[in-house]
Amino acid sequence: MPLEPTAQLLTALPSLLDLPFREGYVSSIVYVSLYVSLVAVALSTLVSIPVAVVLGLADFRGKGFVKSAINTGMGFPSVVVGLLVLFAVSNQGPLGSLNLVFTREAMIMSQFVLATPPITAISLAAVSGVDRGVRDAARVLGGTRVDAALVVLKEARYGIATAVLAGFGRAISEVGSVLIVGGNITSADGISKTRTLTTAIQLEARQGQYETAMVLGAVLVALVLVVNAVVVRFGDRGVQR
Amino acid sequence: MLRASNVTRSFGDERVFEDLSIDVETGEVLAVIGPSGVGKTTLLRLLALSREPDDGSVTFDGTDAWAVDEAERLSLRRRVGMVFQEASLFDAPVARNVEYGLRVRRSWSERLRGELRSVVGSNGTAEAVTEALDVVGLAEKTHEHAASLSGGEAQRVSFARALAYEPDVLLLDEPTSDLDPRNTAVIEEAIAEARSRDIGVVVATHDMHQAERVADRVAVLLDDRVTEVGPTERVFENPRDPRTRKFIDGELVY
Repeated sequence: MPLEPTAQLLTALPSLLDLPFREGYVSSIVYVSLYVSLVAVALSTLVSIPVAVVLGLADFRGKGFVKSAINTGMGFPSVVVGLLVLFAVSNQGPLGSLNLVFTREAMIMSQFVLATPPITAISLAAVSGVDRGVRDAARVLGGTRVDAALVVLKEARYGIATAVLAGFGRAISEVGSVLIVGGNITSADGISKTRTLTTAIQLEARQGQYETAMVLGAVLVALVLVVNAVVVRFGDRGVQR
Repeated sequence: MLRASNVTRSFGDERVFEDLSIDVETGEVLAVIGPSGVGKTTLLRLLALSREPDDGSVTFDGTDAWAVDEAERLSLRRRVGMVFQEASLFDAPVARNVEYGLRVRRSWSERLRGELRSVVGSNGTAEAVTEALDVVGLAEKTHEHAASLSGGEAQRVSFARALAYEPDVLLLDEPTSDLDPRNTAVIEEAIAEARSRDIGVVVATHDMHQAERVADRVAVLLDDRVTEVGPTERVFENPRDPRTRKFIDGELVY
C-alpha cells in the first residue's frame, strides 16, 4: 500500500528526535558522502578549468570533436560509468593491482568521471561568454597570453563557480555508480565505509526503515539546498555586474 | 617613431588594404579618416603589433617588430597603448582597471607582493592611477566599480587605462563615436594632453570635424589605400587627390 510508509512515518514522528541510530552511523555516512564528492569535484575542477580555458580561447583542429565529446559526457548514464570503473579496478582490470574494488577511491574515480563533463561544459560556456573586447584589451595593454587568459578566468568567475557547484550537486546526489563501485558497505559496528547518503536511503527504504531513510533524505536535501543557495547567490552577483 | 611600410593585410580572400604606408612621430596627432569598414581598425591593430601584416613591415624606432623574437616584440608592444570604440573595462573597480597596464609589466613576484600590499593599503600604483584619471576628469571615481559607470565615463576610464603606463604611442579607434558632446570634449582634451606629453597619437575616426579639431596631420584611407596624407589644414583646404576631395566634400558616398 502506498499509504503505509506515510502512516508509519506519522506514528514515528514523536520519536524522530531520538531515533535508535547506532552511534556515529549518520555522521559517518555524511562524512563519506562529503569526502567522496568534495575530493572528486576538486579533482574535476583542476582538470575542467584548464580544459575550458584552452577550448574557449584557442583554435585547433578537432576542437568541435572535443566539445561534442564533453556534451555527450554530460548525458552519460551514471550506472554505466559505475560499471566501467568497476571493470577497471576489478582484479582483471587495468587498475586491478591497486585493490580498489569497494573503496572510497573507486567511488571518487566514478564521481570524477561523472562530474568532469558538466563542470567543463558550464565553465566553457562561461569562458566563451566573456566579451572578446576584454581579452583584446588585456593584450593591447601589454599583457601576455597568460595574462589575457587570467583576465578571462576572472571575468568568468561567477559562471565557473556555478559550474563547480553544479558538479558538486551531481556528485552528492549520485546513487547508481557509487552503489556499484562502492558497494554500500559499513563496518561491523555500523560505521560507514563506502555508504553514502543516497545509497543508505536506498537501502533503508528497501528494508522498510522509513524513519531512518527520511532523516537521511532530510540531511541530503539540506546539503543540496545549501549548495543551491550558494549557486543562486553567485548567479545573482554575476547578473548584477 | 612607429611606422607601417607597404603593409598588406587580407582576411581570407578579401584584401583589406594593400601596399599601405603610414607613420607617427613623437608628440603629434595623426588622424586616420575614412568611411566605416575601410580597414582603420585593422590598420590600428597592425600598429599595435597585435596582428602581423601579410606583407610589408611595421617598425618601431627602426626595429622591425616581426623580425625579432616574441619577448622583444612584447617589449615593443608595451610602448603602445590602445583604446577601442567600446570601453571593454574589466569587471573590477576603476582603480584596478587603470593600474592593469602597470601590473602586467611587473614580475610575478612583484605582482604577488603588490596584491598582498593592496590588502593592507596601497600597492604603489595609486599615484599613477590618480594622475591618469585626472586627465579624463574622473579622479573621484577611483574606488567605484566599472559596472556603475555611464558609457561616456567608461570610455574615459578606458583612455586613462591606456595612459597610466605612459606609452610612447597611443592608438585610438573611433574613441568618441558612441559618446555625447561633453564626453567627446573631455576625450579630445585628453588627446591634446597626451600630445603635450610627447606621446604620438593615432586617432581613427569617421568624423572629419574631429580630425580637424585634434590632428596635426591627416591620412585619408579610401578603398584599400591611403589616398592622401599631409598637414590637417592643407588636406582639408586643398586636397590633391580628386577622390579625397570628393570624400571631404561629402560627395563620395559609400
